[in-house]
Amino acid sequence: MKPTTIGAATGIAFILALAGIASAAGGRDTIIASYAAAAGEPLSAERGKALFMGTHSSGKPDTPSCITCHTDNLKGPGKTRAGKEIEPMAVSANPQRYTDPAFVEKWFGRNCNSVLGRECTPLEKGDLLTWLSSL
Amino acid sequence: MEQLDRIATTTEPEAGAAAHVAVWDPFVRVFHWSLVAAVLVAALTGFLAGAPWIDLHVWAGTATAVLISARLIWGFLGGTYARFSAFLPRPGAVIAHVRTLFDGHGERHLGHNPLGALMILSLIATGLGLALTGVAAYGGILKSGPLAFAFSYATARGFLEIHELLAWSLLGLVAAHVAGALLESMRSRENLVRAMLTGRKQARPGDCRPPARRAWPLAAALSIVVLVAGAGFTLSALAKREIPGVPTAALDPVYVSECAACHVAYHPGLLPRDSWVALIDGLADHFGEDASLDDATTGHLRGYVMANAAQAWDTKPANRFTRVDPAAPFTITATPSWKRIHRDIPDTLFASKAVVARSNCNACHRDAASGHFYPGNIAIPKETQP
Ligand code: HEC
Ligand code: HEC
Ligand code: HEC
Repeated sequence: MKPTTIGAATGIAFILALAGIASAAGGRDTIIASYAAAAGEPLSAERGKALFMGTHSSGKPDTPSCITCHTDNLKGPGKTRAGKEIEPMAVSANPQRYTDPAFVEKWFGRNCNSVLGRECTPLEKGDLLTWLSSL
Repeated sequence: MEQLDRIATTTEPEAGAAAHVAVWDPFVRVFHWSLVAAVLVAALTGFLAGAPWIDLHVWAGTATAVLISARLIWGFLGGTYARFSAFLPRPGAVIAHVRTLFDGHGERHLGHNPLGALMILSLIATGLGLALTGVAAYGGILKSGPLAFAFSYATARGFLEIHELLAWSLLGLVAAHVAGALLESMRSRENLVRAMLTGRKQARPGDCRPPARRAWPLAAALSIVVLVAGAGFTLSALAKREIPGVPTAALDPVYVSECAACHVAYHPGLLPRDSWVALIDGLADHFGEDASLDDATTGHLRGYVMANAAQAWDTKPANRFTRVDPAAPFTITATPSWKRIHRDIPDTLFASKAVVARSNCNACHRDAASGHFYPGNIAIPKETQP
């Protein structure tokens, strides 16, 4: 391969990578924006943090908190009760997070029910993603 | 012929020493002690070490079969004392021999005496029987080796029972063989164990000697090579045949993405159909968690697990875990068989950082995703701190 070809290939790869990150960010922003629209209220990272780190008694006994599985170090991996590793939740550690609306909805559906014993409201979901995206 | 006779009866050059006869040729001695080693390894791995040692066990069994086959050929092409014709006893000879033992003036045989010869034949027959039932059980139960295509799990369980019976018989025979060699050593005032190492025995007047026979080492070596190569070729051809009842397809991608998010993807062959239906219907409260899915995905998964449940396979786990605990109908780790198989594993290992939970099959079984659970693929993680 000639140096110019390598240079061109690197350049294209770089642009593609940037575009990937940009579209990931775009997907994430769209998801958060749609929760904000449904909530009709400004979102708060502080409220999201409190909900995520807090302990709840209304859900299933084995899962009192989001950090039961995701741990309180969100830049590191979590672990399920069956021992499987969960990728980090912080976007800085895992840029692919919160980019697929169906995936986000599925896991909010399950995890809110397991931990809180009910669905999360759009406001809660928006708060949570605002906080998790800022990490 | 003459030359060999001369070698076989060469007297010791040292002055004053008794004359010696070369009785056990190098082949017989190497065979004897290699067989001791192979049987020892097979017995240790079979009786004492757990299932993870299966590969070494199978190698030891294969070595036993090869050694015995070579010995059978040498029994026809070897020299005087190696020939079956030299020591195959007639029943009358055994009775007569036993009678002379009780008379107190038992005769001395330079080769195998009639009782010893019976023992050699029993050991060879039992060893061969062990190899044959072993390869049949290995094929049908673990779906491995040259006979994996030939036998069902149920049939192979029968072979395994015979294999275990023969293994205990071999233990008894070996004990009797050693006792016999020691007793005869005392009776004839000659160390027979050393004779099997040096090959030589004292020449004494009145010894019973078989007729001198010439050895055909080249012909024997050639026959052994042809036999072993032929058997190896046939067996490896058989091993390539399709094995019925063993899953080969990769797991369904939807199943993997939905059912391996929180734990390993359990192969559908690990539980029977009724269990899977109950599990899929109860995903909203799945082991204390909400694992619910939309109807389309649930329908797809139901079809997949129904087509690939334990009833569809003949592997060991598919046969063993079909009997579930009625109180936990879709918990593999609660089935009586799972508990029995894993009863020797300490709780601290399951709770350790490297394993975390009993349900984490992958931590110890490298081939868990395939549904095979071949015991040679078990690797217990080293780290054991909680
Ligand atoms: C029982 C363990 C467990 C608990 C408790 C739990 N989660 Fe999760 N969570 C998971 C798993 C497993 C995944 C999916 C695996 C993955 O994303 O790699 C997941 C995924 C998610 C996702 C989707 C991530 C993405 O990339 O789109 C979100 C959002 C989430 N969890 C939020 C929460 C919140 C909020 C709570 C508390 C209300 C919570 N989780 C509690 C196990 C858990
Ligand atoms: C939200 C997380 C989650 C999802 C998704 C999930 N499971 Fe589970 N599953 C669990 C937990 C937690 C356990 C209990 C593990 C334990 O006790 O160690 C479990 C246990 C099991 C067991 C019993 C394991 C044992 O101990 O014998 C089976 C079988 C099983 N799951 C099958 C499935 C199938 C099939 C799917 C897909 C339809 C699925 N699971 C999806 C969390 C999940
Ligand atoms: C802590 C490690 C560990 C975990 C986790 C584990 N196993 Fe095992 N398993 C073993 C060991 C060790 C043996 C061999 C036991 C013996 O010596 O007979 C074994 C044996 C087996 C066998 C029999 C293999 C054979 O042919 O002899 C099956 C089947 C099996 N395990 C299935 C499972 C399944 C299914 C799971 C998950 C639900 C699981 N195991 C989890 C360690 C483990």
